[in-house]
Amino acid sequence: MIELPVIPAEETRKRKPNWLRVKLPIGPEYAKVRTLVDTHKLHTICESGNCPNMGECWGAGTATFMILGNICTRSCTFCAVATGRPTEYDEDEPRRVAEAIQLMGVKHAVITSVNRDELKDRGAEIWYQTVVQTKNLTPATTIETLIPDTKGNWDALQRMIEGGQEVVSHNVETVERMYRRVRPQARYERSLEQLKRIREAGKRSKSGIMLGVGETKEEVFKAMDDLANQGLIILTLGQYLQPTKMHLEVAEFVHPETFEMYKEEGLKRGIRYVESGPLVRSSYHAERHVNVPID
Amino acid sequence: MNIPEGLKYTKDHEWIKLEGNKATVGITDFAQGELGDIVYVDISTVGQDVNEHEVFGTVEAVKTVSDLYMPVTGKVLEVNKALDGKPESVNADPYGAGWMIKMELKNVADAAHLLTAVQYKELIGK
Repeated sequence: MIELPVIPAEETRKRKPNWLRVKLPIGPEYAKVRTLVDTHKLHTICESGNCPNMGECWGAGTATFMILGNICTRSCTFCAVATGRPTEYDEDEPRRVAEAIQLMGVKHAVITSVNRDELKDRGAEIWYQTVVQTKNLTPATTIETLIPDTKGNWDALQRMIEGGQEVVSHNVETVERMYRRVRPQARYERSLEQLKRIREAGKRSKSGIMLGVGETKEEVFKAMDDLANQGLIILTLGQYLQPTKMHLEVAEFVHPETFEMYKEEGLKRGIRYVESGPLVRSSYHAERHVNVPID
Repeated sequence: MNIPEGLKYTKDHEWIKLEGNKATVGITDFAQGELGDIVYVDISTVGQDVNEHEVFGTVEAVKTVSDLYMPVTGKVLEVNKALDGKPESVNADPYGAGWMIKMELKNVADAAHLLTAVQYKELIGK
């Protein structure tokens, strides 16, 4: 008989520490972004991911667009985006995203997408068009694309990253041991290889790890070693927060001082820029990452 | 978005229902929507005098914690104890079962500068 791991039925609620306190949004900029997103029928990861920084970012006139629909073929346990069979494939989406970015007047745009494993090209053409059309409409706008795991389809990867964006990010999300629990359809090694290839294509590579899902410090150091070995340029480290009660539970609220320590450790390993703190998300302060030198 | 006409509002997303020198306070429909699933309401200022715009408690959603601000200077008389076991009432019925405190105003005249429903709607772009 196989012994299954016992998961304790914990009813004791982990109170959120003070450092996770945020202000609710208000003001004309917030309302403007809200209106643009709604009228252009766009999806944002800010909303889909129930992001705690939405008030701050939208209030400053910036948002992270999510393309290729709002249904994902993956079922990662940390993520609030709905899993299912995507139906949306909208060739007009790149135009609408580009237009919204122009209307918002953002200097730096961050774009991400769901996984489209059912598409042969993983959605790469829509990705390419979105970047190209944004660059055509607003050449001065810098772009970060936070791309999904292409599942080893390196042609798709190439297409996704050749539109002229300044930063290409792909999040490993967690340490190797936690993959089955956190990102069941992904492979740690494959994500590392994807990051290596992004870097080899001459792009400013960026990745992110969520802390507090049950990893140990040694495992975080190991992940940073691995990322540094792929020539990673930018790393973000933030506290994992449960988007709804149905998602993976928070194992630990990592102290701000520990985030500082990780930042030092990351820089020591040769990663050029490390954004580390409880409320840091992958696209938080993304505009600061555009000018990190890559040579 | 439900922003009832008969209530007053603050820039911090509280609503206040005035009845003479007493009032009931909660957070708006907009606020509960932005916060997402509310898991805990923490108010330990019962019996205390709290100044306008000072924190009288916190509301914890699945992803965040937000401060609750006193809409006008006064004394916190009572907390909605039902929220202990049913914090989700704040999401389901923010102006009814989801009320947070009852208070006594120090000066009824202080309420004059609170926002009307129309002004609050403008503030949140609705």
